[in-house]
Amino acid sequence: MAINGKEVKEGIKDGFPIFLGYFTTALAFGLLTRTSSFTFVEGVLTSIITFAGSGQFLMMNLYNAGSMFLSIVVSVFFINSRYIFMASSLSQRLADPRSIPGRLLCGFGTVDEVFTVASFKGRKLSYSYMAGLIFTSYLGWTSGTAIGYAGGTFLPEVVQKAAVITVYAMFASLLGSEARRGAKALLVAAFSAFINSVLILVFSVSTGVSFLISMIASTLFGALIYTDKEVGLE
Amino acid sequence: MNKILLIVSCALVTMMPRIIPYFASSALSKLPKFIRKCMMLLPVAALGALIFPLALTDFGPMWYAGLAGVVVAFLTSFFKGPMILAIIIALIATTAMLLVFPM
Repeated sequence: MAINGKEVKEGIKDGFPIFLGYFTTALAFGLLTRTSSFTFVEGVLTSIITFAGSGQFLMMNLYNAGSMFLSIVVSVFFINSRYIFMASSLSQRLADPRSIPGRLLCGFGTVDEVFTVASFKGRKLSYSYMAGLIFTSYLGWTSGTAIGYAGGTFLPEVVQKAAVITVYAMFASLLGSEARRGAKALLVAAFSAFINSVLILVFSVSTGVSFLISMIASTLFGALIYTDKEVGLE
Repeated sequence: MNKILLIVSCALVTMMPRIIPYFASSALSKLPKFIRKCMMLLPVAALGALIFPLALTDFGPMWYAGLAGVVVAFLTSFFKGPMILAIIIALIATTAMLLVFPM
């Protein structure tokens, strides 16, 4: 796993938008751990070893609601089960699929945003690139948690609120570039957006389960309308 | 409840589904073509559900602020603007909506 400086740099550059989004979200998480009577070390440790947005918020919410230990862990597993599919998908795009530290690194860093940014890179992924991308995102998440705990949300309320859009803007931007290459991408994304919205808003399905169903259903839909050649298979 | 045990357990159930597939990737590449095709399409399929409806519901009654941000970010990149520009414009649009049309 030789380190290529140019690739690391490109990863850091691509990771910068994720850094922004994670930092502002993690400020809120840090504050939540403090108000939930976690110590500074416990709050920051959570972000350091878990590195998962929705899973960590879910853990805190259930903890505050007085849920049982096992039910918290099982719920966190379910909201994270989508990573099985994301990691499987991303593992097919690695330039060198054999390196053990490289695979551990990618596994550790397979969060929604890293997964999407890396997937749309449109080429085989080197571990140097992935290291830059993951490290930048991770730095935003962990430093945001620490600062959020220590200083609370020092940003003005309107900025704090508006910052929520950062991560979604990143997803929308990736979708915009993809839509330029062909309308099918837009169709598949619209399909999954529709199913997810109906499940959550109309049927009040939990976000973890709803996301999983929408992702699988629209993937199948996509497989029917895309040709093998379009997805890079033969 | 032991908080450290809770934190470590939640970290474990987060890391397992992320790490294990990377060590099954040679088996994954031998899966039927249709399944492999699905895996390649997962990113675009995930995008729609990653954006909607949470980009709107995160703003509660001011959902239109979220919608404005998502739409301008999409359009910026659709017309070949770089991602960072898309994000900056989205931040401006969302902030403006929050300020101009507060609840």
